[in-house]
Amino acid sequence: MKRIITYTYSTFAVLLLVAGSATTLFAQESDYETVQDFRSGYSEVVNWIDNSVSSSDLDEISNSISSLESDYSGHSELLNSALYPDTFSDLMDDLRSRYDAAEQNITTIEELNERVRELSEELAEFRAGLSDMDAQVEDLQTRLNRSESNARQLSGLVQQYRQSLENRDEFVAEFLEELLNKYETLDAQTASELAEAAESMDDNPIDLVKTILGDYINYTDQSTALDAGDYLRMKAQRIYFNEVWAGIGESLSNVYAPDRSVQANQEVTDLLSNWNASIENKLWSALTTAFSQNDIDLANFTSASAFYNALSGYVDSAVAEASESNREEDMERYRNFSSFWNGTVKGTWGEFLMNGEVLTYSQLSEIDQKLENWNEAAVPVSNLMLILFLVSLVVIIGLIVMLARKRGDA
Amino acid sequence: MLKNHITALASCVALLFGATACGPALVIQNVDYSQPVESVLSPASDHSVQDLRYAVSFSIQSILEEEGVDSVSEIRLIRGHKGYYFVTASGFSNVYVFEPGESELQLKTIINVAEEGLGQPAFNQRGDHIELIDRATGQTTLVTEEGIR
Repeated sequence: MKRIITYTYSTFAVLLLVAGSATTLFAQESDYETVQDFRSGYSEVVNWIDNSVSSSDLDEISNSISSLESDYSGHSELLNSALYPDTFSDLMDDLRSRYDAAEQNITTIEELNERVRELSEELAEFRAGLSDMDAQVEDLQTRLNRSESNARQLSGLVQQYRQSLENRDEFVAEFLEELLNKYETLDAQTASELAEAAESMDDNPIDLVKTILGDYINYTDQSTALDAGDYLRMKAQRIYFNEVWAGIGESLSNVYAPDRSVQANQEVTDLLSNWNASIENKLWSALTTAFSQNDIDLANFTSASAFYNALSGYVDSAVAEASESNREEDMERYRNFSSFWNGTVKGTWGEFLMNGEVLTYSQLSEIDQKLENWNEAAVPVSNLMLILFLVSLVVIIGLIVMLARKRGDA
Repeated sequence: MLKNHITALASCVALLFGATACGPALVIQNVDYSQPVESVLSPASDHSVQDLRYAVSFSIQSILEEEGVDSVSEIRLIRGHKGYYFVTASGFSNVYVFEPGESELQLKTIINVAEEGLGQPAFNQRGDHIELIDRATGQTTLVTEEGIR
């Protein structure tokens, strides 16, 4: 407000100066005074340009330059002599050049301010949305922890809890996508300008990212109602988060923490590592449980590669057993595994397994290939043909006996 | 004896011609000394003024004595197209016209322009004369090195 008043006074002062100069000119008075007035008017406009901060300032400055030129153009010869080695047109060109530079600066500043304003609004909006979702998640978590409801109601709560986490993931993913669009291709100059403009922001994306990651870690550590599928989804979300941060972390840190960019970048990277550790702390045991609940007992594993080895080893072992014993139980065991593998592991978790870098596409294919081998090995050898042969033989013998008796009777 | 006299006389004539040949024979005509805009100069405590733009400095002590005043806050100085300096100040009754010489300004004319003293004088360069205006009274006087025109 104070600035606006200051520039209003400046505008008024320059207009008065120009008007006063014009009066002097009409009175045909001192050449010296004419020159001095022109110099003062020129200096005032220069000063005004140097201190201009808005487009409205520029409009008034443009008018003042035009007024100054029209008022003194009739004295250009006098001014050319008095201002030597400068000329009247030199100084007017200088004013216009300064004006153009200021206009460019102000345009840049206003664009940056607009970006900062939009960003601040987006951040505030996102924080509010996140806060609502967090409240919902925490409420469901609390209800789950205290729940003495029956199994059906409990299942409903778990479903709601899971859905609220998924909604939160989608919300965060949209936010990350926006950050990616904004900062992935940020050039150094824009980053520097934005950093200056961002100093006025109360909130910033880095703090928000850290808040989101902190919440994720808490939810992962505290959750008791989640299963392997939920942790796989979290793993995929973390990988996505990691990729986004790899793309924008440096730019964001340079813009919003220019004095400690390396440290700020590392803080987020550390949180991402902590989140991964929290997820893996729950994921491997949840996967073991999920397989175990489907009568598939895998060898112990605590890493993605060990998980694949456990799966592969289980199937290899089953193939070997089926080939050797060739019992109906082997077929049953195959059907059970195949059903869980195709229905849950690939059908429900497949995208998260690959996006979460737990299993690769080729590893899934390799297990599929092993399953085909298992299927072939598990099929029991059939006695049907032998039975049919024996039945046919009995029938033929029977017919021969009957024919022989008929002939004997005849 | 006569021969010696003739030789001495011839030497003197040669010397005279030589001296004449080395003299200021080169003269540039139609020089315009005019200063486009007057200089407004503030005297120092020793009554000296210095015009940095036109590179001239002098003391106004004798002018102040002539005007009968102890000091002035500023003087107005302009050089006409012929090279004469015109000096006056607020409160002065006269315009002083000086002809520049070797390290000196020689008074050419004192032009009486206001018995009661000038209010807010200013010089304007106007071709072959100088326009003196008094912004306090609105009076305009045209002057040259010879006096009021």
